[in-house]
Amino acid sequence: MPAFDVQQFRQQFAFFQQQPEWVYLDNAATMHKPQAVIDAITQFYQHYNSNVHRGAHQLSQQATILFEQARSTVASYINAQHLHEIIFCSGATAALNQIAFGLMHTVLQPGDRILLTQLEHHANIVPWQLHCQRHGVIIDVVPLTAEHRIDLVAYEQLLALGPKVVSFSHISNVLGHIQPVAEMVRLAKAAGAVTVIDGAQGIVYQQPDMQQLDCDFYVFSGHKLYGPTGIGVLYGKTEQLEHLTPIFAGGEMIDSVSFINTSFNKLPFRLEAGTPNIAGAIGLSAAIEWLQKYNNKQIIQHKSLLLKEFYNGLTFIKGIDILSSHVHNAGIVALNVDSEHPADVAELLNQQQIAVRSGQHCAMPLFSCLARPGAIRCSFAAYNTLDDVNRCLLALEQTVEILTA
Amino acid sequence: MTLEQLLADTKPVLLDIQQRNLAEIEQARDWQAKYRVLMQLGKKLPAIPEKMKQPELLVKGCESRAWLMHYHDKATDKHYFVLDSEARIVKGLMAIMLCLVNGMTTTELCQFDLCHKFDQLNLKPYLSQSRGNGLTAMVSRIKQCCK
Ligand SMILES: Cc1ncc(COP(=O)(O)O)c(C=O)c1O
Repeated sequence: MPAFDVQQFRQQFAFFQQQPEWVYLDNAATMHKPQAVIDAITQFYQHYNSNVHRGAHQLSQQATILFEQARSTVASYINAQHLHEIIFCSGATAALNQIAFGLMHTVLQPGDRILLTQLEHHANIVPWQLHCQRHGVIIDVVPLTAEHRIDLVAYEQLLALGPKVVSFSHISNVLGHIQPVAEMVRLAKAAGAVTVIDGAQGIVYQQPDMQQLDCDFYVFSGHKLYGPTGIGVLYGKTEQLEHLTPIFAGGEMIDSVSFINTSFNKLPFRLEAGTPNIAGAIGLSAAIEWLQKYNNKQIIQHKSLLLKEFYNGLTFIKGIDILSSHVHNAGIVALNVDSEHPADVAELLNQQQIAVRSGQHCAMPLFSCLARPGAIRCSFAAYNTLDDVNRCLLALEQTVEILTA
Repeated sequence: MTLEQLLADTKPVLLDIQQRNLAEIEQARDWQAKYRVLMQLGKKLPAIPEKMKQPELLVKGCESRAWLMHYHDKATDKHYFVLDSEARIVKGLMAIMLCLVNGMTTTELCQFDLCHKFDQLNLKPYLSQSRGNGLTAMVSRIKQCCK
């Protein structure tokens, strides 16, 4: 395979031709979409648009074939054992809500415990809180080490309390740290817990292998994998998906309905009530097919080169407080300018057309532990270049200069 | 520190901003110059001591918090303000808002079009709803003061 050519890769994103002045480093929030994805969506609406699974007509059959092909693309990308283990939903948030709601009274009974970690995104905290409170389920939280990584010693101790469910992120959306998920799943399984992985940031870093990882659930959003917004995936092992009470009820998900009794359809439809995001699924599938033309090892190398340059450059700027470690980092760097509010830093970067996010990044419990009011977050993607890195560094330098003048 | 003291310290600063700094911002050569002034404004305004930052004074932005104190002098029917923010640029922008309205009577405050004035100063983009800086929240908080 030829070496990774970042210019060739980047050229497929019309966005960068439209907005050549911008350096986009907000990839952890959402990524840009390659032409292949935009074309797939447009083509679906222009040529095949119909509802799925219901019409007797040929157009509906065609749409259904495309939609089910998308399921199959996702299933083979993450190496799920069965197609019905891929549930389409609107995103990671929806998937986590479905899991938290769905496990109550099937797997989780009053008085049971679940285990989360200190660095979770609110999407992997609040749904659990909401349902655990109502059902009398206790939440334990794994603390972090001084390096802001999950404390595995404490993790094992908390597992000894016998949580029924353990849910954690693959990669921290604030710090970029890659968690030792395989080890964490192994330990949780040994303790008899159902395992949930929030793969919102993990999915774009590495092609996860469900059969190897052996987790019970893995969730992600399409828009953080070069795909459209409004589509996401809830992967679950068959027997675990059977435990989920549907959070949404309506059409498609039933077998028969009467006012005396309604029986549910089989998987995956039981968990996909209503008309799905057909174009979204097709767009996500196009993103995956397109991405598979590239060698992920080379992409990881390219991103770690960007990261290395960035870290190197940061050492030359005075007063930078870096929260992320460069070790086992997927390409996200949270930082502050000493004693300056991140909102000021982000605003000055914005003036220089550097798009970064600032604030607490939907991870308030993490920030209370970091003892900082927030941070700016530079998140890199495969289409970012060394030029982007350098422009961001220059802009940061200028920012520090203005702030400390 | 009391509200009277803060008001007394804030008043001349707001006056100075109005008489001197507004023109500087309008005439700034480049964005850097404009931001330098904005940040100076933030620095010039006396800070509200932590103890006085009661929850009801909080004006929430997405990314940073600000606090507004208001005093209505019933004898003269004039409104005076004190403010603080965690973020310096936001504080500077809010200081500009305040200097425009500080000392206004209830009727004047009600009728005053802050957005229009911000537009004249080429600062309108900062007032857009989509920005998380809390300036729109501050505008409505100021407006509430004349109710
Ligand atoms: C770790 C993590 N979990 C969950 C989410 C929620 O994803 P979405 O907003 O696409 O549902 C995000 C998005 O920022 C995330 O980074």
